[in-house]
Amino acid sequence: MLKTLRSAAVALTLSLAAQGAMAAEEIKVGMSGSYFPFTFVKKDQLQGFEVDLWKEIGKRNDYDVEFVTSNFSGLFGLLESGRIDTISNQITMTDARKAKYLFADPYVIDGAQVVTRKGSDIQGLADLKGKTVAVNLGSNYEELLRKADTNNEINIKTYDTNIEQELALGRIDAYVMDRVSAAQLIKQHNLPFSLAGDTFETLENAWPLLNNVKGKRLQGEFNKALAAMRADGTLRKISEKWLGADITSK
Amino acid sequence: MNFDVTYFLEIIPLLLGYLGLTMKMASLGLIFALLLAVNMAVIRVFRMPVMDWVVQLFISFFRGTPLLVQLFLLYYGLPQIFPVMVGIDAFTAAVIGLSLHFSAYMAESIRAAILGIDKSQMEAALSIGQSPLMAMRRIILPQAARIALPSLMNQFIDMIKSTSLAFTLGVAELMARAQMEASSSFRFFESFLAVALIYWAVVVLFTQLQVYLEKRLNRAYQR
Repeated sequence: MLKTLRSAAVALTLSLAAQGAMAAEEIKVGMSGSYFPFTFVKKDQLQGFEVDLWKEIGKRNDYDVEFVTSNFSGLFGLLESGRIDTISNQITMTDARKAKYLFADPYVIDGAQVVTRKGSDIQGLADLKGKTVAVNLGSNYEELLRKADTNNEINIKTYDTNIEQELALGRIDAYVMDRVSAAQLIKQHNLPFSLAGDTFETLENAWPLLNNVKGKRLQGEFNKALAAMRADGTLRKISEKWLGADITSK
Repeated sequence: MNFDVTYFLEIIPLLLGYLGLTMKMASLGLIFALLLAVNMAVIRVFRMPVMDWVVQLFISFFRGTPLLVQLFLLYYGLPQIFPVMVGIDAFTAAVIGLSLHFSAYMAESIRAAILGIDKSQMEAALSIGQSPLMAMRRIILPQAARIALPSLMNQFIDMIKSTSLAFTLGVAELMARAQMEASSSFRFFESFLAVALIYWAVVVLFTQLQVYLEKRLNRAYQR
């Protein structure tokens, strides 16, 4: 009896010690919580493509993943001030961002898309001259549009949120968004919008990290989990679940 | 007419779950703002050397710049210069920002109320041997509180509503929730109307409290 008790105690101590040694590292992932279907709140539940990805990465890398929601324009401030470890909000790897941050390997390959109301005469990027076009504040679509708009003929407006509502209300003529989520949004909510023309720029989206020792370590860990998820089909499955297509490879 | 009544009725209790967080921010903000404001008002009324200067500068800055800018400075800006400040979480930063911002307005309301108390009150207190600060605390401030109440309540109501800016720091409070629900359901009118009604109801409650407080504070003056 005593012996059993003692061995039970030893086992308990051991398992406690083991737990202590393997305590999950807390990883804070920032997202807007208002980018359907990547990260959104419905009935008080934060969910979406990004959320599922990080639950999976958390499982594989033994992270205790905490999601931090903030306005999109606040996300880089949170990263910069070290309050979150990375941003999972379809962040496109641009040259300016690459110069400042580390990036994990891209997990989504997508394209920039012009979206208009049904029946609009806008057929693509070339027709945007003289029109009012909206982009999200802090997103790189503004930069892309300005690059295409060499004569400064497009009236570009930036918004923090609710860009689709502005198009529905007719305050803007079009907006620029990634093709996949735009298409999904139109389908899901039956919006009277259409995609104008082809995508005009390839976007590679990845998780940015601070360029320091911790960032470098996490970069390696994220990449390992991502590669494993890509290899065993988990990545594709999550993509198909939320977007109805595989957007994780070229 | 495309108003989803079911959605509207469903989202109200859901949003009410976050009212606590909003009120916690507002009430902590009120406590700190009042403490700061009373001290600043007294410093200004007595024109205390140097401190009066500092207070004037403080009030000028915090009334002269938008609350949103102050919150961004506090939460995103300062930690780049002073890395220790990263330890301040979003909720705390929002409370600090609200306190500092509204204390500047409240200090002026309280100062105005103090100046509205007849000079003879202070003179009488001094003549029986009270020190100026003691007289301020025991004789002047209790009377000034009655005069300051309506404008302080004004500022508190403004503070309750200003907590909605905390979402830009990542505090998922009432307004943030409404916005997130709206952008996934596309029920903008329902979500924003629900959140507007909640803020309104809260403010109505506090207005009632103000009526009650005013009556109480007026009792001594009724004949």
